[in-house]
Amino acid sequence: MRVIVNKAKCQGHARCWAQAPEIFTLDDEGYIEPGDIKVAKRDELKAARGARSCPERALAIDRAATS
Amino acid sequence: MTKNQLRSNPVPDHVPPEMVRNFSLFTSPGMLPTANGDPHAAVTCVHAGPPIFYAPNNTRDGRGTWVITRASDQRKVLQDTETFSSHRSIFASALGENWPMIPLELDPPAHGIFRSLLNPLFTPQRVRALEPAVRERAIALIDTIAASGTNCDVMKDFAYPFAVNIFLRFLGLPDDRLAIFVGWGKDLLHGDAVKRKAAAQRIVAFIDDLAALRRKAPVDDFMTFVVQAQVAGRPLTNEEVRGIGVLLFVAGLDTVAAAIGFDLAHLSRNPKDQEWLRSKPNRIVVAAEELLRAYPTVQMIRVATRDIDFDGVPIRKGDYISCATMIANRDPAEFECPNTIDLAREENRHTAFAHGPHRCLGSHLARREIVIGLEEWLARIPALRIKEGTAPITHGGHAFGIDNLILDWS
Ligand code: HEM
Ligand code: SF4
Repeated sequence: MRVIVNKAKCQGHARCWAQAPEIFTLDDEGYIEPGDIKVAKRDELKAARGARSCPERALAIDRAATS
Repeated sequence: MTKNQLRSNPVPDHVPPEMVRNFSLFTSPGMLPTANGDPHAAVTCVHAGPPIFYAPNNTRDGRGTWVITRASDQRKVLQDTETFSSHRSIFASALGENWPMIPLELDPPAHGIFRSLLNPLFTPQRVRALEPAVRERAIALIDTIAASGTNCDVMKDFAYPFAVNIFLRFLGLPDDRLAIFVGWGKDLLHGDAVKRKAAAQRIVAFIDDLAALRRKAPVDDFMTFVVQAQVAGRPLTNEEVRGIGVLLFVAGLDTVAAAIGFDLAHLSRNPKDQEWLRSKPNRIVVAAEELLRAYPTVQMIRVATRDIDFDGVPIRKGDYISCATMIANRDPAEFECPNTIDLAREENRHTAFAHGPHRCLGSHLARREIVIGLEEWLARIPALRIKEGTAPITHGGHAFGIDNLILDWS
């Protein structure tokens, strides 16, 4: 699984980070780091939850991607 | 809508009469100060109507606004800052002046320059460092309350001193003028025109003096940071420093206090919810999100920069557009059973802290203040209820609030 990050949409709510700080890393301003995130099998549930919690809809899940 | 109201607030010609509704966050039922009121429930009536309508009297100074009721439409408005501008000089206008509170009343790209400057000070990581002081303050206030009896006014004895203390600590100032600041904030937000102006003048003078002081003798605090900062390769102007200082002053006082008030009122009226959180304190973080969804406090207003047809609604340049968080957060198209307050709700992308570039800069701090406040209340004070014979007074308006909350645990 992969999380597709649309950095331009991120407004630093940090809700993804609140769900899973080890998966969603924030920059010095508290906004998401650019670049899609590869998710290990064991982290899929948490990553999906984090992506779904983004109020700006900046994070999308690509389930087809293999980690 | 009576003819009389239409006459006193003329509806612009471009607004089709069938889009006008008799609704106002200031004057509709439940919006004026009401004993045992529930202003959040009162506004849910809009969801029985059209997704967008025109309210002829929906600002403090009696202006008309479009009202965007759907959460998804509010997101569109708040994310499109080119069409929907924040530039309004609300604070300065109380003084008959015209300068922006920063970053609130700037639009991108200028907005982003100041946001980038301030963001690092308010990240969730930074807020972690402030947490011990926040908790210590909450404990000190609650222990004083517990030692002096079995009831108190949560607003006066806890919510305001707590929020103001954290703000003062942020600015690096001692607590001794706390009551004065609370008074200024009250007058500014809820006073008449005369009181508002006087409070605005005092706040400006206070911020200007503090900035001057920190320029002369820098210390390690927020105002020193601001007066020493550079944007686009130059230092900030006096007006910019003032715009930042004033916004910080007004943004975090009433909002945090009101949230704590509404939350403790909810828990006092719903003993099952209270017991559940007492038995599962680790659920307070999730519950606080649901309480932010159910009892948010801010109405955002934007100004159209051009004529636009928004889902068939003819918005014209200069029109005001209201994105009330209390309305979007009860949108049935966005939240399952929006009027059920379910402290275990997991899917909760509420808009209490806005959407788009103006997302509340203090949201991470505010969240922790609320969670820590609730944790320490439940840990230190036994079963809470509204004191018999008292009634919390709630009000609507630009910022919803609760004036008094007498709780009893005898
Ligand atoms: C529960 C408490 C709070 C709520 C519900 C709240 C809500 C909001 C909302 C809805 C906005 C957007 C306004 C708009 O776009 O028109 C906002 C902006 C802002 N808030 Fe908060 N706020 C809270 C606490 C705080 C605190 C504690 C601080 C300061 C430390 C703060 C500082 C700010 C600032 C500086 C902005 C402007 C951001 C910008 O324009 O980029 N807020 N807040
Ligand atoms: S939740 Fe969304 S907006 Fe917030 S930091 Fe994560 S990606 Fe950005």
